[in-house]
Amino acid sequence: MKGIRPLNHLSRRCYVAARRSSLTEPLSVNPRNAPSKPVFQPQDIQVSKLPSGLLIASLENYSPVSKIGVFVKAGSRYETPDNVGLTHVLRLAANLTTKGASAFRICRGVEAVGGSLCVTSSREHMVYSAECLRDNLDTVSEFLFHVIAGPEFRPWEVSDLTTRVKIDKAMASQCPQIGVVEKLHEAAYKNALSNSLYCPDYRVGNVSSDQLLSFVENNYTSGRMAVVGLGVKHSVLKQMGEQYLSIGRGAGVPGAKAVYRGGELRMQSSDGLVHALVASEAAVTGSADANAFTVLQRVLGAGPHVKRGANISSKLSQGIAKATTEPFDATAFSSTYSDSGLFGIYTVSQFDAAGEVIRAALAQVTAVADGGLSAEDLDRAKNQMKAESLMSLEASEGLLEEVGAQLLASGAYSSPEAVLQSIDSITSSDVVNAAKKFVSGKKTMASSGHLVNTPFVDEL
Amino acid sequence: MATRAPAATGRLLLGFRKWYYNACGFNKLGLMRDDTLHEDDDVKEALRRLPENVYNDRMFRIKRALDLSMKQQVLPADLWTKYEEDKYYLEPYLKEVIRERKEVEEWAKK
Repeated sequence: MKGIRPLNHLSRRCYVAARRSSLTEPLSVNPRNAPSKPVFQPQDIQVSKLPSGLLIASLENYSPVSKIGVFVKAGSRYETPDNVGLTHVLRLAANLTTKGASAFRICRGVEAVGGSLCVTSSREHMVYSAECLRDNLDTVSEFLFHVIAGPEFRPWEVSDLTTRVKIDKAMASQCPQIGVVEKLHEAAYKNALSNSLYCPDYRVGNVSSDQLLSFVENNYTSGRMAVVGLGVKHSVLKQMGEQYLSIGRGAGVPGAKAVYRGGELRMQSSDGLVHALVASEAAVTGSADANAFTVLQRVLGAGPHVKRGANISSKLSQGIAKATTEPFDATAFSSTYSDSGLFGIYTVSQFDAAGEVIRAALAQVTAVADGGLSAEDLDRAKNQMKAESLMSLEASEGLLEEVGAQLLASGAYSSPEAVLQSIDSITSSDVVNAAKKFVSGKKTMASSGHLVNTPFVDEL
Repeated sequence: MATRAPAATGRLLLGFRKWYYNACGFNKLGLMRDDTLHEDDDVKEALRRLPENVYNDRMFRIKRALDLSMKQQVLPADLWTKYEEDKYYLEPYLKEVIRERKEVEEWAKK
C-alpha cells in the first residue's frame, strides 16, 4: 500500500537527511584526534652466536604468527652402525614426556593455544619447529625447549612408538620415489649418508630408550644447534637460547666423513612402472660447484613449470621423447650435503621401454657435457633457479628452512641478493664442467619395478 | 602423642610395623607387599611399565605362592621375606600412573 512504504523508508531517509556534505571531499578529521598509524620498517635477519656455540637468527616480519625452528645436527648420517633407525624413532618421539611436562600436557597445552609443534628430519639435520600466535609464544616455546633439552624417553612410551614406526614405513613404501632415493643413498655411500631416513625392519621395536638418551646426549649440544625465529624479537630469542639450550657445552660428536662408493641396488617388483635413478658424486653444499650443478639440473629439466603441461622446455623430456613413444617422466636430481653431493637423473618409464629411456636421458647429459649448451638454455635455467629460490623464501616454512640450513652449514646467513649474484656468476663452462664430472664419475644406480629391461649400471 | 620423645616413637612404630608385617602372613609365602596389591586399572598400567626382569621376578613369586597355597604349605622360615628386604618396586610406577590420571582429570574439568 502506498501509504505504508514511506514508513519503512523512514529510518533510511532520516539517516540520509543527516548527511549534509557530499562525499567528494575527504571528511575533515582533526589531526590531533586521529590515531597515529605505527610505521613498520622492513627488517633484516639478525644473526648472533652465543658463547655456548648456539647460533641464533631472528627476523621481525610483523606477522601475527610467530614461528621458532631449532635445527640440530642430528640427522640420520650421525647414526652409528649399532643404532641405525634411531633418528626415525627420535623423529616420532618428540611428543613424549619430558622432564618439564608430560606427554599429555605438551599435546593439550599446544592445542589449547592453537599452536603446532612438528619435527622434520633429513640426512643431516633434525628440525623442531613450533608455530603459534605471537602472544602465546612463551607457552609453546617452553614446550619446544623441553622437548629438545629434556626428553626422558620412558621405555614404555618408546615401545608404544613401534606401531607409529610401522605406519610410517608402510606409508613410505606406498611411494616408489622415496624407496628409490633411499636405496640410491644406500648404494652410493659406505657410511653416514647411506643411513636411511626410515628405520630398517630388523630394528623396528628394538630401538631402546637408553640408545635414544645417549644419542641425544651426544648430539644435542649447543654447538650443533641453531635457533631461528620469525616474528620474534632477537633479544627474546637470545634469552630463551641462553636459558633453555645451554646443554652440553661441547661441539658434540663429529660425524664420520661420508665415503662415496658407487654401487647399484635393484628392487624387483611387479610394478609396471620402472623408477630408476642414476647418479654420480657431485658438489658439497655452499661450494661454487653446487650452484653449477643446480643450474645444470634446471637446464636438463627439474619438474614441469606449467601444471599438467607437457614439460616442453626440459632437455631430458625432449631427448627421451625421440627415443620412445610410451609415457615417461624424467627429472634431474641433485642433492648436496656438508661433505658430499649427488647429481643424476630420475626416470619413470614403462618397464619395456626402461632401457631406452635411461640411455636417452644419459645421452642428453652427455650432450651438455660435450658443450651442447646454448646461452638461451643457460639463461632460462638461471632465471628458473633464481625465481624458485626467491619464491621459496616467500613462505615462512621455506624461509625458516633456508636460514636454519645456512646457519648450520656455514655459520652465517647470506641474503637473497648474495644468492642471486652467485647464481648469476655461473658461466656456461661451469655447467659444462659439472656435466663432464657427472659423465666421467663412478655411477650409482637404484631402480625399482619390473626390471627385466632395465640395464645394469655397468651397461650404461 | 607430642610428649613422647621422637626416637622412642620411631622404635615403637617400627616394632609395631614389623609385628604387623609378620602377622599379615604373605611373607611366609615368599611374596612382597607389591605382589599382593589389588589389580585395578592404575596397578595394571603400572605393571605394564615394569622393566622385564622385575616383572619376571614378580611372576615367579606369585606362581610359587599359588603353588604353596594349593598344597596348603608355607615356605621354610629362612625363605620368608623379611621386613627389611621388602622392596616396594611398584610404588614409583604407580605414583606416576596416578599422577598422570589426575592430570588428565584436572584438564577434563576445565
